[in-house]
Amino acid sequence: MEAAEFELFGTTLRRATDAHTGAALDSALAELGWHEALADDARSAVPLLFAHQGGAGATSSALDDVIVDALGTDAGWGAAVVLPGLGRWEPPARLDANRVVVHGLATARLLRSETAVVAAAGAQGENSSVVRTAVVKTAELTRRPVSGMDPWFELVEVTGAATPVGPTAALRPGTWSAAVTRARLAIGYELVGASAAMLHLARVHALERVQFGQPISAFQAVRHRLADTLVAIESARALLGAAWEDATDETAAMAKAVAGRAARTTARHCQQVLAGMGFTAEHSLHRYVRRVLVLDELFGSARSLTAALGREVLERRQLPPPLPL
Amino acid sequence: MSIELDAFRTALDRWLKEQAEALVPRQPTITLDAQMAQLAKVKRLTYDAGFMRRGWPEEVGGLGGSPLLRAYLGEALTTLDLVEPGIYSMTETLAPTMIDYAPPELAADMVPRLLRGDETWCQGFSEPGTGSNLAALTCRALRFDDGWRVTGQKVWTSLAQYSQRCVLLTRTGTLDSAHHGITALFVDMDSPGITVRPIATMHETPEFCEVFFEDVEVPFDRTLGEEGQGWSVAMDLLPFERSTALWHRGAHLRRRLQDLIDIVPDGSLDPVQVGETVELLTALRARSRATQYRLAAGERLGPETSVDKVLVATAEQAVFDLAEAGLAPDVLLGDDPTGSHWRSEYLFSRAATIYGGTAEIQRNIIARRLLDLGKDH
Repeated sequence: MEAAEFELFGTTLRRATDAHTGAALDSALAELGWHEALADDARSAVPLLFAHQGGAGATSSALDDVIVDALGTDAGWGAAVVLPGLGRWEPPARLDANRVVVHGLATARLLRSETAVVAAAGAQGENSSVVRTAVVKTAELTRRPVSGMDPWFELVEVTGAATPVGPTAALRPGTWSAAVTRARLAIGYELVGASAAMLHLARVHALERVQFGQPISAFQAVRHRLADTLVAIESARALLGAAWEDATDETAAMAKAVAGRAARTTARHCQQVLAGMGFTAEHSLHRYVRRVLVLDELFGSARSLTAALGREVLERRQLPPPLPL
Repeated sequence: MSIELDAFRTALDRWLKEQAEALVPRQPTITLDAQMAQLAKVKRLTYDAGFMRRGWPEEVGGLGGSPLLRAYLGEALTTLDLVEPGIYSMTETLAPTMIDYAPPELAADMVPRLLRGDETWCQGFSEPGTGSNLAALTCRALRFDDGWRVTGQKVWTSLAQYSQRCVLLTRTGTLDSAHHGITALFVDMDSPGITVRPIATMHETPEFCEVFFEDVEVPFDRTLGEEGQGWSVAMDLLPFERSTALWHRGAHLRRRLQDLIDIVPDGSLDPVQVGETVELLTALRARSRATQYRLAAGERLGPETSVDKVLVATAEQAVFDLAEAGLAPDVLLGDDPTGSHWRSEYLFSRAATIYGGTAEIQRNIIARRLLDLGKDH
């Protein structure tokens, strides 16, 4: 996208995520050309949408679209996808005889869809690294709408076994990892958007809240918390940008981890600065705090990705290659 | 841009391989004297081969081109462990200051000496009474018919004992003129009246000094910028400390982490801590890379570079925290070169949140200038 087009599309997305959430946001996105933008220029479309979605605290099934696009299935736009379970990034199903055994999560789209795309680890006897996609009838699965930590997320827990509709398709090696990488980048931007929103709330509060005859923003203890928050957010943003450029699964995993950790840091500092106000359900902070805890766990948490990276570095005794200048 | 950088990278990498024998230190560079000698040698060789002149304007002996070339040169040299990044990168702070503020003929005369490693320069900013609060400096420069006369004291002046010149901040206004009454001078360190006393440090490398000025004469044509413009000189210089120089330090930290990973005994490091440090270094590199490109595009760098500085200080301490944990017997008990080296670097890393503007000052800048939180208490 050219600069003007990029800006215009960003404004349009922002209006949509500010005004709508859930199914209504899915409809709005379909109407404003999100699918076409994703197909033509994911590098622009994904960061824009997910940062705005995170900033607005909205939810949608756009993550399904990102994964369908990356898997290259012919399921078509609007298909529902089964996501890996909390903290996991392997395919959310395995093939057992001719059944697909599913254990994962999904966006609310899965409740509205008759079928869903699910990636499954290879059947017994087949090389376990082979990933296949299957289309299953959602009615055959157990779908539990999740309230939990973040009821506004509208996540769905999906379990059970289903018979594939039509033949399963083996993905080319690396395709599932590529889809995981795309999902991580999208969620990374959503985390950054939510973090920036929390920082904004805390900043406004610090400037307005007067104690001891001055705004609490004058106190260094408060200022330094907010400064550390900005550093955390900016480092995540920089790494996400680099991950798009170098297009490796490794950098994307680091970017997701750093974005998750930044969001947790942000939540901690902003909650403290907003103090009692931010603890009430009337203030919107708690919605973001809840959201980032769940987002951090999708496709691998900061902690698990970081531990995996550290183990690999120690095992190979080799740092990942440096980002090129 | 990338074609220029790619061509430079290819040519430089080949040259570094060809010249490997000439470039490596003849002796272990443990002492500061040895590090300085090695630095002068490497600068001279890279200057004469033309690489050191790339990315600098022709008016000061450069060959033109993008500053990205300077970023890559420093990265390559630090990654090969040919230079210590702190002393190498002082050029990145001082040469731009000369280019922007010195009379053109002075810059044309002096900058090539710095680039070629013929001379070492230092930066006379901090004083005993003014560390973080730079605007309160008191080193006086008084006008006489024939020039300035400088009297006062500087401290934490890196490499002053090796320096031929000093970029010096002086008080030319009244004592309460704060940042309005500061003037920057370019002072010959062999001028009568200057005394340099190196300070012993906890990492056993006396890299900074106290510098005393007693009626030191400095000609008017050695004024950098206008009288009273010293604050701008300083404020423009500081972001340079947080751009190219910082890219070099990031490359050095990566090298050290790899060195550590190469030799650390199995099971002596916490994988989460290792993973976090790798992520931190990669985030720093991503952030600093964007800064290099903004600099190359001619953007004016400002307070946003304080984010880079917080990241590098955090990364530096994380890397050497790992070293201390993984190589405890070397760091704590070792008296051989390996032990001394890791110990010295570990101890030096404790200063990462102090020098070049403390972690607290960086956070104040971020709060005031980037988050627009107004004045502090």
